[in-house]
Amino acid sequence: MRQLRIFFRVIIETGIGVRRSGWSNWLVISILAIALTIFGCILQVTMTMKNVVTAWGSQLEISAYLKDGFQPKRVAREISQIPEVQLVEIVTKDVAWDEMKSTFKVASLANPLPNTLHIRAGNADAVEAVAAKVKLLSAVENVRYPLKIARKINELTHFIEIAGFAITAALSAATLTVIGNTIHLLIESRQREIEILSLMGVSPFYIKGPFVLQGAAYGAGSATVAILVLAVMHYYLDPYIIDQLVSLAPFLPRNIEYEMWQTFGILIGLGVLVGAGGSAWTSGRYIKI
Amino acid sequence: MIRLQNVTKDYGGRPALVNVNLHIALGEFAFLVGPSGAGKSTLMRLLYREETPTSGSVFVGGVNLNRLHKRQVPLLRRRLGTIFQDYKLLPRQTVFNNVAYILRALGVDEKEVEKRVQSALSVVSLEHKVDAYPDELSGGEQQRVGIARAIVNGPPVLLADEPTGNLDPATSLEIVQLLERIAERGTTVFISTHDTTIVNALRRRVIYLKGGEIVSDVDSGVYELEPNLNV
Repeated sequence: MRQLRIFFRVIIETGIGVRRSGWSNWLVISILAIALTIFGCILQVTMTMKNVVTAWGSQLEISAYLKDGFQPKRVAREISQIPEVQLVEIVTKDVAWDEMKSTFKVASLANPLPNTLHIRAGNADAVEAVAAKVKLLSAVENVRYPLKIARKINELTHFIEIAGFAITAALSAATLTVIGNTIHLLIESRQREIEILSLMGVSPFYIKGPFVLQGAAYGAGSATVAILVLAVMHYYLDPYIIDQLVSLAPFLPRNIEYEMWQTFGILIGLGVLVGAGGSAWTSGRYIKI
Repeated sequence: MIRLQNVTKDYGGRPALVNVNLHIALGEFAFLVGPSGAGKSTLMRLLYREETPTSGSVFVGGVNLNRLHKRQVPLLRRRLGTIFQDYKLLPRQTVFNNVAYILRALGVDEKEVEKRVQSALSVVSLEHKVDAYPDELSGGEQQRVGIARAIVNGPPVLLADEPTGNLDPATSLEIVQLLERIAERGTTVFISTHDTTIVNALRRRVIYLKGGEIVSDVDSGVYELEPNLNV
């Protein structure tokens, strides 16, 4: 009960601290909200790009040409056991020959085409590995797949991941600095009070706790503002952007979806973590008890 | 209650206290006197662990402060009531809240806070000023709030570092008489001062510090500018 009362008092002290901070609260929340909105936008773009690239990559097809005398269904079953394989489509030599004859004028001769399997991997990353495994099968004469495209897509995916991580790290550092400086100013303005509390035997938790909670509150408040901005953008801007993307690149799927709730959760989590972490670090550094 | 054994404190080779030995018993009332720079404040700071000695040992309530972990310092300070020359009141808190602060920080129930604060304020005769802010009070009243805050948690030891340094002679006398009344309840009171008027008016134990050394320690003494050596 006593611990609960102490925690309750720490929350009250946090409220008093926020009230005393006055206009600087709005300044900090504005700066943080801008940083988190930018971060949220980058996160959305990164996730969208990843989804686009994954969708694009999953369209890549491996063609496996079978040797004569092997049952296409049996080989298809064998290939579908490979974990990365998403789909195996059989095109028998008769179907291929009929299609060819209907498209081109061909001389009346024996069907020269092999039985073919069209294989799709789950993503571009797996195309090369699946092709190598298929090539090793005794029933397979030859394998063809768009190697350069698969590699480019993989490179693009990795670049997006690294760029997203780097931008996140940079914005987190900037956010930490802003929160740290604000809490530092607060500590400076309350230095005498802190000294008195320390001499009275008030515990470090009670002295530092309100600053840490204040930082967490800044993070949560800023994340809420950023989420509101992003939600409005998602509602009004996304349909227009997707229309433009699809008209520029018709091969893209129209259902480029990403999880907004995931972004919101990340923003709240990051905001609170960076807010509380920045404050805890600053309190530890500048409050000498 | 308070014991210093061969305590030396120096700051970068400049000695503030030299081989100080001192014992103050439970419930005792004593003055620590001496000119400015004699080492009085340094000795006081050692007692509430704001400083640690360069050598020697400091005991308060049987606890060796040299061995006290940083985390235990707040526990020590709660057992000491400390009074300062500049009062050290929270300027944006009322008299009541200044006195109640430490109790609330310790998680004391609000009804108990109310009771103890009223009791402490009645000891210093400030029950009628509960809602006032420090800047609305006279110097003497502010120091009485400081005393109420120091005694509210019922500490066995009260340390006062130049408690009358900012007060006129009449108010100073009122303050030390108040501290004397608190000592009569069994609290050890140790006051550092260079105010001859209050020391000579009370005629209690006087420990004279000069150049960082105790040069005189007399029961029922007075504050002489050049005391006879009587340690």
